[in-house]
Amino acid sequence: MSALQSAVRSHAEAVQVSRTIDYLGLFIFFFVICGSYHIHAMLTMGDWDFWSDWKDRRLWVTVTPIVLVTFPAAAQVFLWERFRQPWAATVCVLALLFGEWVNRYFNFWGWTYFPVNFVFPAILVPGAIILDVCLMLSGSYLFTAIIGGLAWGLIFYPGNWPIIAPIHVPVEYNGMLMSIADIQGYNYVRTGTPEYIRMVEKGTLRTFGKDVAPVSAFFSGFMSILIYFMWHFVGRWFSNVRFLKNT
Amino acid sequence: MAATTAGGVAAQDKPLLDTKWLAFAFTIYTVFYMWVRWYEGVYGWAAGLDSFAPEFETYWMNFLYTEIVLEVTTASILWGYIWKSRDRNLAAITPREELRRNMTHLIWVFAYAWAIYWGASYFTEQDGTWHQTIVRDTDFTPSHIIEFYLSYPIYIITGFGAFLYAKTRLPYFAQGLSLPYLVTVVGPFMILPNVGLNEWGHTFWFMEELFVAPLHYGFVIFGWLALAIAGVLLQIFASFATVIGKDVCEAVDQGLIAK
Repeated sequence: MSALQSAVRSHAEAVQVSRTIDYLGLFIFFFVICGSYHIHAMLTMGDWDFWSDWKDRRLWVTVTPIVLVTFPAAAQVFLWERFRQPWAATVCVLALLFGEWVNRYFNFWGWTYFPVNFVFPAILVPGAIILDVCLMLSGSYLFTAIIGGLAWGLIFYPGNWPIIAPIHVPVEYNGMLMSIADIQGYNYVRTGTPEYIRMVEKGTLRTFGKDVAPVSAFFSGFMSILIYFMWHFVGRWFSNVRFLKNT
Repeated sequence: MAATTAGGVAAQDKPLLDTKWLAFAFTIYTVFYMWVRWYEGVYGWAAGLDSFAPEFETYWMNFLYTEIVLEVTTASILWGYIWKSRDRNLAAITPREELRRNMTHLIWVFAYAWAIYWGASYFTEQDGTWHQTIVRDTDFTPSHIIEFYLSYPIYIITGFGAFLYAKTRLPYFAQGLSLPYLVTVVGPFMILPNVGLNEWGHTFWFMEELFVAPLHYGFVIFGWLALAIAGVLLQIFASFATVIGKDVCEAVDQGLIAK
């Protein structure tokens, strides 16, 4: 075989081939991330994400950004470092939301008839845009970890508030004060998630009651910085191209 | 030299990307799983609520036995065929043929991505809602029969198929065992054995389903390993670069493609 022999017949064909690779590569990355990020998300924060009456000020606000900053951090190392593509966090979040919405609609509602306004997933795109733009403008993982990670945690609750606020209006229900979300959980019976399983803010004798959401969001932002930092190394390892020797 | 052989000429006439196989890869999972979803939709409610009823045996346990036999058979035939038909003289491959095989390999990874979507995303979270609708009386609920013993084996079979295709037909991947590729296919494979731990724990401890229970963390870790798709994609692009890298660079210099 001649070393000069080319695999393509023209430069135009080379361009065409490279475009085809783009489309197939994007499909592959999107759906593999969708599968693995979704598994990770379901089993680390899924219970809060499934139900409107789990979307509280203390646990949901803390847990969700912390566990979800993982894949965006890893994907950023891969896509930004190797290709200078600044949409790593956003593509992860879009893949996750795609997987969740298909499920909530066709299965939670479609198969077992839970209303969609009870089982809608959390909104995640604002934080992902911030993370991506932080990295694109600064070009620094340290900056993105600290500023982007903090912002990722802080924006989460405000990003979701327009969706969940309407289900937090109070109702006197059979003599008890309940929010609409509480009533949803009470009405649409979940056999596998009895009430005592639900982990939401219940108040303590050692806490102030009013500012739980912003305090939780700050804590979540701080933890997201640490998790981003760790997962950026995870992403680096997963981007290795080593071969094991045939033995 | 190889380009002048009959095989080399024939290879040049074949399309670089066989769109029929691409469409087949997409359609076969889509149509099959939509049928599965229809079957669940009907027989989940009609025969899947009481595992001690005889109709459960007919509609669900028989489904389980059938799929396991079919999976073992398919895996043996598919992997066996790919291995037996391996290219024993990779050094003689023409650049055109190498490019064509790289495209076919992309179809394999495409199929893997599509299969892992259905397994890890669609049928896994679907199980979540079935848990909220029944209090289960067996480890083999309708959604478990589909999720664990159908959709997981299918993406595992596809993943190893892709790995074997690359290993046996592409010079770049034949140089050794790709570490990220092994992690990508073996890691999510481990989700299946982890079902053993999961069901063992559930059988002993609880009927209700807390998704974030530590008992489930094995699935999380094995799910992470699919992230090695990053390394696999880098290797795939490197494999392409050995055949068209120079041409693409020249096309960039000529302004045919944006930098």
